[in-house]
Amino acid sequence: MRYRVILGVVLAGLLGSAHAVDSIEPLANTCNNCHGVDGVSVGPSMPSIGGLPEAYLNNIMLEWKKGTRFSATMGRLVKGYSDEQIAALAKHFASKPWVPVAQKTDPKLVALGKKVTARCAGCHGETGKAEDSETPNLNGQWSMYLQMEAMKYRDDSVAMPSRPMRNAAKKLSDEEVKAVAEFYANQK
Amino acid sequence: MSQFNRRDFLKALAVAAPASVLHVPSARAAAKARVVVVGGGFGGATAAKYLKMMSPTLDVTLVEKNKIYTSCPLSNEVISGHGNIKDLEIGYDGLKKRGINVIFDEAGTIDPVKKTVALKGGKTLAYDALVLSPGVDFNYGGVVGYTRELAEGDLPHAYKAGPQTLKLQQQLMAMPDGGTFVITVPKGPFRCPPGPYERASQVAAYLKGHGKMKSKVLILDANDSFSKKGLFEQAWKLHYPGMIEWVPGASDGNVIRIDPKTKTAYTNFGEHKADVLNVIPPHHAGNIAKNAGLTNEKGWSPVDMLTMESTLHKDIWVVGDSCVHGDLPVYAAPKSAHSAVTQAKVAVGAIIAKLNGQPAPVPNFVNTCYSIAAPDWGFSVVHVYRVDNGKLVYVQDAGGISVIDTPSITTLRRLEAEYAVGWLRNIMADAFA
Repeated sequence: MRYRVILGVVLAGLLGSAHAVDSIEPLANTCNNCHGVDGVSVGPSMPSIGGLPEAYLNNIMLEWKKGTRFSATMGRLVKGYSDEQIAALAKHFASKPWVPVAQKTDPKLVALGKKVTARCAGCHGETGKAEDSETPNLNGQWSMYLQMEAMKYRDDSVAMPSRPMRNAAKKLSDEEVKAVAEFYANQK
Repeated sequence: MSQFNRRDFLKALAVAAPASVLHVPSARAAAKARVVVVGGGFGGATAAKYLKMMSPTLDVTLVEKNKIYTSCPLSNEVISGHGNIKDLEIGYDGLKKRGINVIFDEAGTIDPVKKTVALKGGKTLAYDALVLSPGVDFNYGGVVGYTRELAEGDLPHAYKAGPQTLKLQQQLMAMPDGGTFVITVPKGPFRCPPGPYERASQVAAYLKGHGKMKSKVLILDANDSFSKKGLFEQAWKLHYPGMIEWVPGASDGNVIRIDPKTKTAYTNFGEHKADVLNVIPPHHAGNIAKNAGLTNEKGWSPVDMLTMESTLHKDIWVVGDSCVHGDLPVYAAPKSAHSAVTQAKVAVGAIIAKLNGQPAPVPNFVNTCYSIAAPDWGFSVVHVYRVDNGKLVYVQDAGGISVIDTPSITTLRRLEAEYAVGWLRNIMADAFA
């Protein structure tokens, strides 16, 4: 069944039909409105997405679509797209370079963050550059966005699928949350 | 296994798709083509930028009156003092650096047959494709007694961000406790459908924050419902109990005339004396679109909903607030910055395809619109569209407004208040940088 659908799409592409998924770029360009050109965000509450691992991007969009992961806005958007379009978007943004954003950080908090994040390194790497394809880059991600994500993990009423992240985030004090965000934001 | 299939699918697609389907512009056709963009707001700036980005050999000219653009989104937050107007301003250096010819002048007459635009400064520009993104102009006479002079003087509508925004802020600051701030809302469609109600919220936020809780915000509305109504009413009840009153058209909310001297708004049967009178006059498409014969009997520019090309004159694409896009209900395809930017991107795809003699690509329309009703209290509406048998329709199950009742409400509203600000930074950069 799946192959039949794929074949249909490929044939449509060959015939030059206007209904073919001919290039994901026009759809990806609509993401730029909020996430920046090539997924490099200039808005502190919006994450950069260019250069994040493909599997991570694909998973997170599918989780929003299924409703298994909380989102304020993204769930309502991704429900509008097929799994194939979501996969193509993930591939598109994963192929862009990861650009750590230059931002002002508080050196005291960064120093505290370095200590606190020792326990995060197992999954996220020492500076937030993860090795595995399921884990997002945190180095040079926006501090405010990271703090807002931590807020989600710390609110029990919010559905966030990663139990380890939920447990880790809850162990942090308010100041430590800020420190962790500032530390990763400060990494290149 | 499914992962494997997907990869195969993408690989197969990459091999199978012939170059023509990928809309690679032919350098020869594109090199000759001159595209003129009139109006340097969100829609026009995006069109100019993406034309040049997608087809660098195009000759792209942007005509704009003002050297600095001031964003309307988040300008209600300036009225309440929660935002700074400087953060809403942006110039055109980013577009110039991309090789776009930016002309600071006012476009006068469009000749759709000769395909020229005459500028008020004397220059005439010839085009192969013209993008019009003039925003809205106002029908001041739609409210008897209201005039452009009053708007620019003592009774700012502040529905285009700039000096009028600051004037309205000063009037709010000067209003004594116990005063009434009246906002009059015209019959839709108007730009930024939640704008008047967000403004009412921001005015109340200012009053609450300054201990002027005896004051009132009165919304006199020509319409019987409004965008994100449930979300606004929830926020009003929670944050400003008893401070905001909304009078729908059906309950005599439609303001017919005003007396500027006494700051009184008159409806069919009632009169409402204001301390601050904020009249939002009815809108129509930008005058330049009207004068060029690009508008319908209701004053808006009809476009092919798949390409944004005018249905009245070919080779002219109308994007943003001036166009009526599709035949969905008034609030369905809202006049928002987000809509304007996505429409501009669709128009760019269609223009490049047409210049190269190719069919227009499948369009992607989406809208996201945030409102901030109180500090740390934001919410949004999302629209995702798809083309079905040549018609623009909503994608079932996608889109909609933020959840109204949820145990996560504090987190959710806080997130969206921050997203509103992040969204603005990115969409301004997407259009202008």
